[in-house]
Amino acid sequence: MNEWILFLILFLAPIISSVPIVLAYKSKEWVNRLPPLSVLGIFISVLVSIYIFFCAPTDLPACRFSYPWIPELGINFVFITDYLSIHMGVVTTLIAFFIAIYGLDYMKGDYRLPWYWFFFNLFTASMLLVVYSDNLFLLFVGWEGLGAASWGLIGHWYKDDDKELTYVGTVDRKVGPLNYFWPPSSGGWRAISTIRFGDVPMFIAIAAIWVFAGNLNISQIGWGTLFGTVGFAGTIIILLFFLIGLFTKSAQVPFSEWLMTAMTGPTTVSALLHSATMVAAGAYVFMRITWYIEPWTLNGVPGLETVYIIALFVGLISGLYGALVALGMLEKKVLLAATTMSSLGLMFGATAASYWIHAEVNGMNIAVLVGFWYLATHAFAKASLFLVSGHLIHATHTRFAVGDLEFGKKMKVAFATTIIATTFLVGIPPLTAYWIKSAMDHVMEHLATEYSILPLILLLATSIIYSAVLARFMSTNFIKGEKPHVAHVEGGGLMKAGYVMMVSMLFVIFYLIFTRSELKEFVHAGFEPLSIAVGIAALASFGIALYKPRMPSMQKFSTVLSDRMYFPYLNDYFCPKIGFFISRICDCVNRGLDGFCNIWVMPGLFKRISGSIRLIQTGQLNRYVQIILSLVMAFLIIATIVMGVMLV
Amino acid sequence: MSLLIYFLLLPLIVTCTVLFMKPKPATYLAAFSFIIPFFYILHCLLSGISETFHVMDFAAPVGEIYMFSDAVSNAFGLAICAVSAMVAFVSLPYMQSRLEDMKLDMDSEYRKYAFLYCLFATSMLWLIYSGSLVFVYTFLEIGVISAFLLIFLYGYEKRRWTSILYFVWMLIPGVLAMLSFILIGVDNNTFALKGLSEVSMLAWAILFIGLLVKFPAIGIHSWLPWTYEQSPTPPLGLLILADGLAGYILLRIYLVDSCFIDVYRVPILAYALFSGIYAGFSVFRQTNYKRLLGYSSISQMSYMLVALCLGSYGLMGLVIQYLSHSFGKSILLMTAGGIIALYGMKDLGDMGGLHDYMPEISNAAVIGWLNLGGILTVGMLGEFFILRGIVETFGLNLWVIIPAVFLFMLSVWYGFYMLKKIFYGRPRSAVRETKHVSGYLYIPLVIIGLLSVIFLFPPIAPALTKGLEIVIGGIVP
Repeated sequence: MNEWILFLILFLAPIISSVPIVLAYKSKEWVNRLPPLSVLGIFISVLVSIYIFFCAPTDLPACRFSYPWIPELGINFVFITDYLSIHMGVVTTLIAFFIAIYGLDYMKGDYRLPWYWFFFNLFTASMLLVVYSDNLFLLFVGWEGLGAASWGLIGHWYKDDDKELTYVGTVDRKVGPLNYFWPPSSGGWRAISTIRFGDVPMFIAIAAIWVFAGNLNISQIGWGTLFGTVGFAGTIIILLFFLIGLFTKSAQVPFSEWLMTAMTGPTTVSALLHSATMVAAGAYVFMRITWYIEPWTLNGVPGLETVYIIALFVGLISGLYGALVALGMLEKKVLLAATTMSSLGLMFGATAASYWIHAEVNGMNIAVLVGFWYLATHAFAKASLFLVSGHLIHATHTRFAVGDLEFGKKMKVAFATTIIATTFLVGIPPLTAYWIKSAMDHVMEHLATEYSILPLILLLATSIIYSAVLARFMSTNFIKGEKPHVAHVEGGGLMKAGYVMMVSMLFVIFYLIFTRSELKEFVHAGFEPLSIAVGIAALASFGIALYKPRMPSMQKFSTVLSDRMYFPYLNDYFCPKIGFFISRICDCVNRGLDGFCNIWVMPGLFKRISGSIRLIQTGQLNRYVQIILSLVMAFLIIATIVMGVMLV
Repeated sequence: MSLLIYFLLLPLIVTCTVLFMKPKPATYLAAFSFIIPFFYILHCLLSGISETFHVMDFAAPVGEIYMFSDAVSNAFGLAICAVSAMVAFVSLPYMQSRLEDMKLDMDSEYRKYAFLYCLFATSMLWLIYSGSLVFVYTFLEIGVISAFLLIFLYGYEKRRWTSILYFVWMLIPGVLAMLSFILIGVDNNTFALKGLSEVSMLAWAILFIGLLVKFPAIGIHSWLPWTYEQSPTPPLGLLILADGLAGYILLRIYLVDSCFIDVYRVPILAYALFSGIYAGFSVFRQTNYKRLLGYSSISQMSYMLVALCLGSYGLMGLVIQYLSHSFGKSILLMTAGGIIALYGMKDLGDMGGLHDYMPEISNAAVIGWLNLGGILTVGMLGEFFILRGIVETFGLNLWVIIPAVFLFMLSVWYGFYMLKKIFYGRPRSAVRETKHVSGYLYIPLVIIGLLSVIFLFPPIAPALTKGLEIVIGGIVP
């Protein structure tokens, strides 16, 4: 089969399959019937991505497929089927598919299904575009698609009418002058405004790469030559501008706030966008460019180390911040969102460490591999937890964590899924993430000798807190939480199917770790003393938090954490205040100009001149003779003066 | 034999014909008189066809009068035809509501409206295909007069004052353009574009200042918010096309001789960036939806002024930005029109939660703002060329990059903020009864939206950029 047809089907199947429901938006009957068609579109993409995974070449240049778009300018449809993209493609489509199945149940009867399914599928297609694109412009098209779709999905419940289920924060709570709760319409606005803050710098970085490298294909750009051409400052400007786009998308500090309030969207959206795909897109693109920049081979290039240090610490600080904030969270989804941000930080940190790590496995840098496999594991685990949260919200009619053991027994499948997802993700030996985190510990340990010990300390602190957070999530929702006021535990077959399939992927990754040759380093790392110690610490932390999920004595500290260390002030207070202050000045100037040009000064001036001229027009002949004589006299006087001056 | 002239004559003939027709047939005829040329222009663009039609010769210094097409005029022509055709459809329900409010007879009054509407749109179409500065000036003025009459006759409460305000302000670009064209014609001994080889600094300066008023740039913009607020909404769709023609004229003169921009590139760029950012901030303080869109237009027009300073890629960005802004802003203006036609709301304080009552129009507004933000639409290409132009012309100079980046951010910020304020959340004022949203009010907007996406992809995007490269190429910053 021609590859272009495959790619066309891969990207277009989700979009085209969502068009009928959009067209049928006026018919409730058809709107309720058509969602399976949208899911079918995603399923087709699953099949294509699996086909690509098994059959497409993975070595350059055979794995690069190029089709003309604006060939004279180097803007083309260029797809790549390298190691990263074939794996990420499958992860993306599978997650989207499982969530879509879950969504058939979860979104049943929703008042805005056409909107939901269109943006859901557009989102999937955009993510796939980001995953497989080699051309930076094409990648940016997908990138913008992600932004637009996420805005649409986060603000899905645009009416802001369900404070109990769709808001973030305790309704009517104020902290200082700021309302500390957010409706869905605000969630959407916060997301797109933050993301836009990163997108435009990223776009100009791509334009700069286009100018200085003469090529937009990531795998063909001569990165070393490019950095040599633009020098120290140029390298920093281009890469930092590019990274701002990735940091905002991946909700890294200080751009993390939008992710928390993105939880105003339906849970399926939280699962798809904010665990597995969209936020991961930032980390994924960082891995992709690092893969081809090969910074470990460019150690002498001025500016590059600075950029990677920034990425390393932004990632690790975000990791710690996210884990700490999650520790105080009372809302199920917001807690998971904070841990997502934390995990993304670790992905950035691990990938950035590649600058100092020269170890390769099968020609691949171990640090990037660690980052990528942590991404995949996190994606399935976190998506499972989000889907479980959605089911719990349906069952308990509250977004806050409630649920005792009795409730846990009633929700057996959800409980079991939570046990698997949390334990497999936090790094408890010998479960899936343990091996990946061990390799991550190993990478950071190496950094301690090459660069600094601080990254290792940050990683270990994050890992231990993170483990406690997820244990607390499980405990407060299934074991030691309050007894729910409402417990609709019946039904939800498709929802259960969705998260069971999702969580089962963690076993597949577990299997892959022990069978894939490039992942054997992970297993070796798992037997290192440091990894075992960290694994035991994570287990201990997990156990303690499971046993005692809440500490009343720490209430004040917990409030600071659950208030996200007052970061919302940046988004909702300081930045808007500055913006509105400037706009007020502009408005004053506009009014002044309007008054001057259109209302008072200029019209008044013209009125006066016009009045003066009209005074002349009396209609009496002697008046006109007087004027003419005056003018003649004035002319003669001026002429005499001028001639006199000239003669002198 | 050039077919161009026939496709230009068609809307002209229709302009006269609609005077004798009933509203609905007049609307359809007016729309199709632009849809047919649209497809012909598209064919020319895709096939790389450039045409010339000789009209007549005059003695020097007037020289030859002719019509011609190339990729630049075709790009502008596509925007004019698409927007004029689609907005014509929106005119029908909108003007019905407006004329009812004014207590005027629909049948007789709509004829006058349709005539002026077609005249306005046709004048723009003829302007961009004119090969002589005489024609360019003539059609520029015809456009101003027809716009003046449309505002004067069908505007809102302050329509007479606003129409005169508009007319007086438009005298400035009109007179200065005429003066500049005379200087250029005398210097070159011809007014024919193909015969021009140099433009004096004086002629450039006069033209530039004049057209800054037409764009408009900040400081000389105070006429525009009033015009937006008080005009009937469909002709505003044409007005944004007309304002953007300032960019077209500057581009044509730039292609003859870029001396003025070469010398004053930095101050012009600084002024354009300031203008765009200032207008962007001004949007947030507006309480009237159409006035808000007016400030947004000022901000967006500054993109074109920025692009003018950025060499070949900038000029390509200028043309695409015109397309994108025309598409996006016409959609948004028509959403404002829809809100007025259905619920009579103009003030933002009354809006909020309107998606409930008009989901189609609300969704169209999303496409409009995506266009202005350069997201997933042809505007993305325009922005990319402008950004490349910045790097090519100024390198990685943060003094230029940061304001430009901020300018591009602002459009999405205010756009989506306003979407939230107008269409989402809880309704601020209770709408007593939900009215049926006529297909005329939203289908044309969706079509414009689809066009804006289609223009980003093959076969149009490569044909457009290739054509523009041929016309513009070779000009280095």
